[in-house]
Amino acid sequence: MGPRDAYVLRTVEERGVRFVRLWFVDVLGILKSLAIPVSELEPALEEGVGLDGSAMEGAARVRERDVIAYPDPGTFGLLPWRDQQVGRMFCTVRRPDGEPYAADSRSALTRVLGAAADLGWTAQVGAEIEFFLFADDPESELPRPLDDGAYFDLTPLDEGSDFRRRTIDHLEQMGIPVKASHHEVAPSQHEIQLTHTDALSMADAITTFRLAVKEVASELGVFATFMPKPLEHHAGSGMHLHLSLFEGERNAFHDPGRDEPLSPAGRHFLAGVLAHAGELTLLTNQWVNSYKRLRTGFEAPSHVLWTRTGGAGLVRVPSSRPERERGTRIELRSPDPGANPYLSLALVLAAGLRGIERGYQLAPEEEAPSGTARRLPSDLREATDLFEASELARDTLGDTLVDLVVRNKRAEWDTYQSTVSAWELQRFLRLL
Amino acid sequence: MGEAWIYTDSASDAEPAGELTRLLAELGFAPRKVAANGSLRPEGDGGAPARPPDLALVLGDPALCARLEGDEDMGDVPLVVAVGADELEHGGAVHEGHELIVLPLRPGELRARIARARLRLKGVADDDAVRVGSLEINLATYQVSVGGRPIDFTYMEYELLKFLATHPGRVFSREALLSRVWGFDYYGGARTVDVHVRRVRAKLGTEHAGRIKTVRSVGYRFDGEER
Repeated sequence: MGPRDAYVLRTVEERGVRFVRLWFVDVLGILKSLAIPVSELEPALEEGVGLDGSAMEGAARVRERDVIAYPDPGTFGLLPWRDQQVGRMFCTVRRPDGEPYAADSRSALTRVLGAAADLGWTAQVGAEIEFFLFADDPESELPRPLDDGAYFDLTPLDEGSDFRRRTIDHLEQMGIPVKASHHEVAPSQHEIQLTHTDALSMADAITTFRLAVKEVASELGVFATFMPKPLEHHAGSGMHLHLSLFEGERNAFHDPGRDEPLSPAGRHFLAGVLAHAGELTLLTNQWVNSYKRLRTGFEAPSHVLWTRTGGAGLVRVPSSRPERERGTRIELRSPDPGANPYLSLALVLAAGLRGIERGYQLAPEEEAPSGTARRLPSDLREATDLFEASELARDTLGDTLVDLVVRNKRAEWDTYQSTVSAWELQRFLRLL
Repeated sequence: MGEAWIYTDSASDAEPAGELTRLLAELGFAPRKVAANGSLRPEGDGGAPARPPDLALVLGDPALCARLEGDEDMGDVPLVVAVGADELEHGGAVHEGHELIVLPLRPGELRARIARARLRLKGVADDDAVRVGSLEINLATYQVSVGGRPIDFTYMEYELLKFLATHPGRVFSREALLSRVWGFDYYGGARTVDVHVRRVRAKLGTEHAGRIKTVRSVGYRFDGEER
């Protein structure tokens, strides 16, 4: 038994924990949990826990598959919203023969990070996550905001500030540091920024974050949603990702010598992300509803271009403090908080690394989309087509995982297409 | 408690080495014999040199102590040197090591000497706890508390605090912390150290956060109790 296992077992004993939840996500990033009593903890750490792997295939599950979940003791933490009686650990899922299970998103990200590490790179990721709080009113068909507060407002209207304080306390206790939080532009919309950390920890943190936010909301009698575009006439929720690569202690995106916002490696990386932007959008924006956010403005990006100022660009390269080496990064503005953070980060990082590896050339900065600027996919079907045909996605994630995601998304699109919406009834019922 | 390495010249020291192994196991250490004429650090998992132990004992070879004390990784391991009464009569003073015991072994003395060496070097008390003011780090149970109130640390946060607190006053670079606390097989990179330090400080609270000092363009240092 290693020291990590011993740490978990002793902590459970000392703190009177009775159950431990083993966490993993399906291909869509939806959190799945298997609770075991502490009496089963030691064998679980040693031999893993068997489960039906089809639970990870999302809505497209076909048949049962035996897989084994191995808890990662380095991720052990007590759930602060559960009176500290319950612990949790993220799992790596393997087949009975010991090979990583193809549908395990966490393994897919680990593979990309391992390949990057072999080349001497480590990725640092920060995230700005937006979401809405709504009144928990089953009578109301439309979501009902709690306030009319606006960007950075701090008024009695902002019922969320108590909420944000409580959420931040919980997150910090679980080892997820928060950089800032504020009211966003839409009514009842909030943003919490997670401090940059390594990519795997960030994906785990985003997954934990979504649960923590929902738990705290329900403690306060409201509900939280990470749906990308819940209010038709207001901004949607994004999840901007801040990315940088380090080579040892040195930020490989930082170029102190020249008057450029990025080093040559940073420019190749950015060129890689832009070149593959169409293919990876299915992962960063994986729901029918995601495209309603991307298509309707409110500062959501629609075109594949980069700027230093933001606007409608897919990528912003912040240049406010060029003297700070650590702060040099790119900000990818398309992802929304409904994404699977593991697969999104795996493919975005793989795109950037391919840009470095193959020396992709970066197009000039564009403040506004020119006539020739490429658009992001305009709906889920287009995004699915691009992803399915992506050599990069298949190289990075493997055919099995790509095909699983595609099957899920085709099914979602078909269901959506066969739905008669309120808009259609209003428009056509009397007219035709 | 962790590993205790016993440096012996197996031919001449078989008997006291066996006795020492038994006594150390009784004290809760995991004893491991290391050939005195070989490499200072034996092989660990995967063929790389093993991580330094919690305690080192040298049987009858004070010169080896000097090598250990001068070694970058072994230099801060509490070191007890054991010499025979005869050698002491004829060889003169022994300055090496942090504590000296004279053979034949007496269990009570061994325990007391080890406790002295660990407390002096690492700040680790007899009950395997490090106490700095109201901060207590219990190395046996992996629990940390401030003023009796338990603090939840993740495994790596705990390991980092434990490492810094048991090496008070020494400055470690990020790379050194990465290799000694995180070990190999980790994809996070040196920035991870900063992220963890910030988290540990936040959890320790205002009273103790300042004990982990940032040493500009070098790394980090833990300030223990003034002794």
